[in-house]
Order: sequence, then C-alpha cells, then structure tokens
Amino acid sequence: MSKSLNHLLQDARIWQGHKPQKHASPAEHTGYQVLDNQLGGLGWPKGALSECLLDSCGIGELHLVLPLMQKVARQGKTIFWLNPPHTPYAPALARAGVNTDQLVLVQTHDSADFLWTLENCLRSPVTGLVMAWPGKLATRDIRRLQLASEAGNNVCILFRERRQAEQHSPAALRLELIPGEHQDLKIIILKRRGSWPGQRCTLALGHRAGIQASDPTGVIQGPWSQDGAT
Amino acid sequence: MLWLYLHFPHLLLDHVRRSQQTQGALAVVDLAGQAILQVCPEADHLGIRPGMRLKTALGLAPDLVILHLDSQQETNLLEEQARWLYRYAAHITLSPPHGLWAEVSSLQRLYGGLPAVWQTVEQALAERQLTAWLALGHTPLAAQLLAQAGKGECTADKGHILTALGKLPLVAAGFDEKSCTRLHRLGLNTLAEVFNLPARELARRLSPELLARIQKAQGTRPDPKSPWHPPHRFRQRADFIQEVEHAQGLLFALQRILTELEEDLCWRQQDTDTLHLLLQHRHEEATRLTLRTTGPEHRAESFLKLLRLKLDQHPLRAPVISLSLSVKRFLGREAPVGQDLLGDGQDLNEAWHTLASRLQARLGTEALQQLAPRADHRPEFAWTASAIKPASRHSETPEVSGLPARPLWLLSTPHPLAEPPARWFSGPERISAGWWDGQRVHRDYYIAQLSSGQLAWVFRDIRDGWYIHGWFG
Repeated sequence: MSKSLNHLLQDARIWQGHKPQKHASPAEHTGYQVLDNQLGGLGWPKGALSECLLDSCGIGELHLVLPLMQKVARQGKTIFWLNPPHTPYAPALARAGVNTDQLVLVQTHDSADFLWTLENCLRSPVTGLVMAWPGKLATRDIRRLQLASEAGNNVCILFRERRQAEQHSPAALRLELIPGEHQDLKIIILKRRGSWPGQRCTLALGHRAGIQASDPTGVIQGPWSQDGAT
Repeated sequence: MLWLYLHFPHLLLDHVRRSQQTQGALAVVDLAGQAILQVCPEADHLGIRPGMRLKTALGLAPDLVILHLDSQQETNLLEEQARWLYRYAAHITLSPPHGLWAEVSSLQRLYGGLPAVWQTVEQALAERQLTAWLALGHTPLAAQLLAQAGKGECTADKGHILTALGKLPLVAAGFDEKSCTRLHRLGLNTLAEVFNLPARELARRLSPELLARIQKAQGTRPDPKSPWHPPHRFRQRADFIQEVEHAQGLLFALQRILTELEEDLCWRQQDTDTLHLLLQHRHEEATRLTLRTTGPEHRAESFLKLLRLKLDQHPLRAPVISLSLSVKRFLGREAPVGQDLLGDGQDLNEAWHTLASRLQARLGTEALQQLAPRADHRPEFAWTASAIKPASRHSETPEVSGLPARPLWLLSTPHPLAEPPARWFSGPERISAGWWDGQRVHRDYYIAQLSSGQLAWVFRDIRDGWYIHGWFG
C-alpha cells in the first residue's frame, strides 16, 4: 500500500497540495509586502484576470491598485478605466504620482460593447493595466475575457460586487475586500491559481485620506457640530 | 510632339460593372430615355447597337439593365481616370466626355521607348478593368480621330500616322453634318481625298472652320492644349445596378476604392486621418458617415477594418444605390521614430493609434476621454476631460501639491448625506470660490467615515445641507 503510494507520489503528474509550487507565471508586485506574501511573493498575475469583490467604493480599493498604476504610468503604458462608477479625480491621481496622460476613460453603453472594448484593450501592446467595472457578467463572458487577457500580457482587474463571490469564475485571482474598523482594508483571497485559497491579510490604508493612526480627531469642533447631520 | 489619346467607349458601363459583379447586359440611354448611347459587350452580343431605340433594345433583351446618362457624373469619372494617368504622364488634357490626351514624346526616355509607354498604360487600364482605345498621333486631333475609330497603332512615324488617318471615312472625322454631306456629294469618301484638296479652295467652298480642323489634324496649324492639374483631393464613387441592402455588399466596392486611395496616398507621400463616406439612397436623404483615425494612416487594410466597424454600428437605413468616398484632408508623412532597424520591437505609437481608432470607430469619439488636472479651487472644476489626443501623450505631469488630501473618486453630482458619519477625521477645509463666473461655491469640506466603512469626502454648503462629494477609494 505505502509502497504503491510512494510510487505514486514520485509521479510528476500528481499534484501535491501541501507544497505550493512556485509559479513561473509572470506577475506584478502589488506594492504591499503583506499582500505579496499572501500571494506567494508574486502579486497581480499578468496575462490573467483578477477580480476584486467589494460592496461599495470608498474602502480603499483604488489605493490597493495605486502602486501598480504608478509603475505602469512610469513605464509609459496606458491605464484603461472601463465604465468606472464615478469620475477618477485627476488632481488626486496626479498628486499620487500617476501621470494622467496615461489614463484613458472609456464609457460603453451595452455589455456587448463592454466585452469588445475590454478584449481589444487587453490584446493591445500599449496597455499596461485595465480596470473594469463590468456590472453583471455571465461565466461564459469571463471565460472569454480570460482568454483575451492570456493573449496580451497585461494586468486586468475586474471590480465586482461581493455577492458574486459564489458565482464560479475562471479568473486567476479573486480577492474579497471588506472595510475594516480603522480605515484599513481586509483582504480575503478566495481563489489563487496554483495554491490554496483562504489566506487573509489587512492593509492599513488610513494614509489615503491623510489620517494619522495616532491622531483620530483632526476635526475642529465648532458650533455647527450641534446641528445638521452630526 | 507626340500625343497619346485614350478613348473610353463606355466608361460609365465599366465604372458600374467593376463595383458590382453582374452578368446581365447593360446599356446607357439618353436623358429622354429614348435612344441607346452605349452598350456593353454582352448587350452587343445580343444585337443591341448604339443609336437603337430603347423599345427595340428591350424587345431584343428583356433583362437589359438601363442606366441613365448623367453628364456631370461622366465628367467626374473622366477626371478620376485623369488622376491615375497623371502618375504616368505629366501633361494631360481632358477631352470630355470620353477621352484624354497625354503628351508622350517627353516620356520615351523615361520608360525606355514608345512601346513601353504603350504597355504601361495598357497594363494600368487592365488593372482598373477599363476599356479604352489607344492611339498615337503627331497632333492631338490625329490621335483623337484614330482612337475614336479604333485604328490606333504604336508608331511615331508621321507618314504612317497620316496614311492611317487618310484611310478614315469622312464620318469619323467629326466634321459638321452639312460639310460632310457636301463633301460626299463632291464624291469624296475618305480623309485622304480631302487632304489632297487645295487649302484655299477648301476654305472658300466649304468653311474656314473645316480647313482649320483639317490643318490641325495634319499638323500645319497649331493646336495648343492646356495641361490639366489634379485637384488636391480624393473622390471616388461607386454606383450599383442592384441596390445594396447589406453593408457587406458595400465592402467589395469600398475595398477597390480604398486600394486606389492607398496608391494615391503612397504616390503623394501623404497620409490622411479623415474619410467621408456618402451613401445615396433612392428615396431617402443620403447617409453621411465620417471616419476619423487617431493618427495619420494610409493603408487600405486599416481603413477597411475601421469602416467595417463603422458600418456595423450604423446599419443601413435604406438600400444604397451609390457610394462615394472623399478625402480632403492630407497630412505629410512622418518618418517612424523609435523603431529599431530589424523591426523586432513593436511600434507602440502605431499600436496606440490602431487601438484608439478601433475603439473610437465603434464607441464614438466622445466615449474615450483623457483626464487632466486644472488650476481651480472648486473640486468640480479642478479637472477636465478631453477627447484623446495622441500628441500630448508624453507630456510632463503638472505639479499638484500643497493641497489637503483629495479623494480618488469624485461623484458627478454631490450626493445628499443620508446618515450621520460614524467618525470624523479632518476638517473643515473651507473652499469659497467662483464668485467671478456665477458658479459660486461656498463649502466646508470634511473627511469622514460612514457606518458602512466607506471613507467619504463630505461638505456642508452655505445653506446647511450635507453632501458627499467623493470617496477615498
């Protein structure tokens, strides 16, 4: 029995889950050491889809991508924003060191146009990063996008709703983003190609609003704090 | 001087036949719709001849497709032919409605002899699927008469040309009818017999105009022809015998026109970035489509790809009877920069143009935007969106600093704050501006965390309303 087991274990075709293989697949560092460690020291996979699942914006999801945006813009490659829910605020991006000339905002009207645009952006050599807010997507469509992103060598991040976490997805990396108590961002890795999922980590992103961790009250109190919504 | 004359016996028919592949017989009738003017070889085979009445022709061939003569269109078509001929010969003169002169004596050395010139022109005609009768003459008129009679030969020998000219019947000489009848009554049948008459008698007995014509043909009287210059624009038209109902049917004709455009642009060493496509319908107003590429382009293949996308986006409203493609904007060619000698590295600039043109063709020009910060204190005016422009792609980022924290997301319109925030972080930052242009802003901005965990940029305006203006994404 054990002999035949040993024999089997020596077979290269048997995948052994307890020692995750160092993937040779190319990736871009996320810029956050904590998250990189959880992702096997790699980061955002290149030539594959990544999904971020979140309930609402304003929890630090753009700051999660910001180090990559800075890097891509420095390389002179284009960052596409496909159907963003709000306007990316150019002064803030410029302040964060992202060259706004490298940003292109694309608005599409229907899902056929959306998929077509995303596919074209992914296949182009000028693209460095595509961020897309697809709304509803069928599994078949994600599969198609996955194939398109394999054709190019770009990072593609889809921002989707958290309730779609149960839906099966061929994306190579799926992250669930939950806002924490202290302006931090909890990340749960739902899926990761070539390794076990389920790792969690927390990124402190209080600096995105200029908040010091030690100084929670920078608000000047006044007589106005008694009325209105406060 | 040696002149080459190209006579197009049925230019309109050729033009129609190359836009759409049809087998049937074709004929051009006059404006009144009474008599046949031009026939194609198939119709000729069925026994239809020019000058025949339309009713007779329809009796011979019930399926005959009839085209009405449009003199303006014929002139345009002739100009189209002159355009490509201009690449081979410098001195061209139009002879509407059916012919062109090209001065060839100066070309012999360039092409290496007269037969080579002749062959080049014939080959160009064959490439364009055109029927033309060529003739050489030592005078423009001699060349024209020989070509119209179909008796052209590739020879520069003056004596030979005059002999050939002399054998032409009087009808082919283009005299007015009265003189022609009088000459016939005198017992003269060929041009050679008229050539032999004494000039003075001819002018006295017939008319000075007739003498002038004869002398022009012989070369004893000058017959200057002013050279034609191609206009600096490109315009090609395709007419369809059968109405085209699907965009696919247009692509065949478009491909030919775009290939011509590419050749034309290559020959000019120019590029273009705007194409105008006009689709004519029988009963409805014409459809105008404008195709813009983001960068200078000259390849037919990429124009065709973009046009295909454009036509997919704009389905035909009605069947199309003709299309015309025109280009008025020409740009000088730029040498590609940053391309290595062996061409291993991809040309990113070109790839960018291709991608942006593709996206714009399908989504519309305004669907793609670029953002830039702007110097204004009011948050909603502190940024601009503009259509993408490739020239500014590698400019320096303007320095934006010294301001308090700004959110990465800005809401298009401020959203009323529904519940009191869970925590306050910083503020107030008072922004009061815009008194100069009527868009007054008077607000106190705070950074606050909502109970959902979102970090918001909220403000209280002068009327004590609380709004969310951005998210710290």
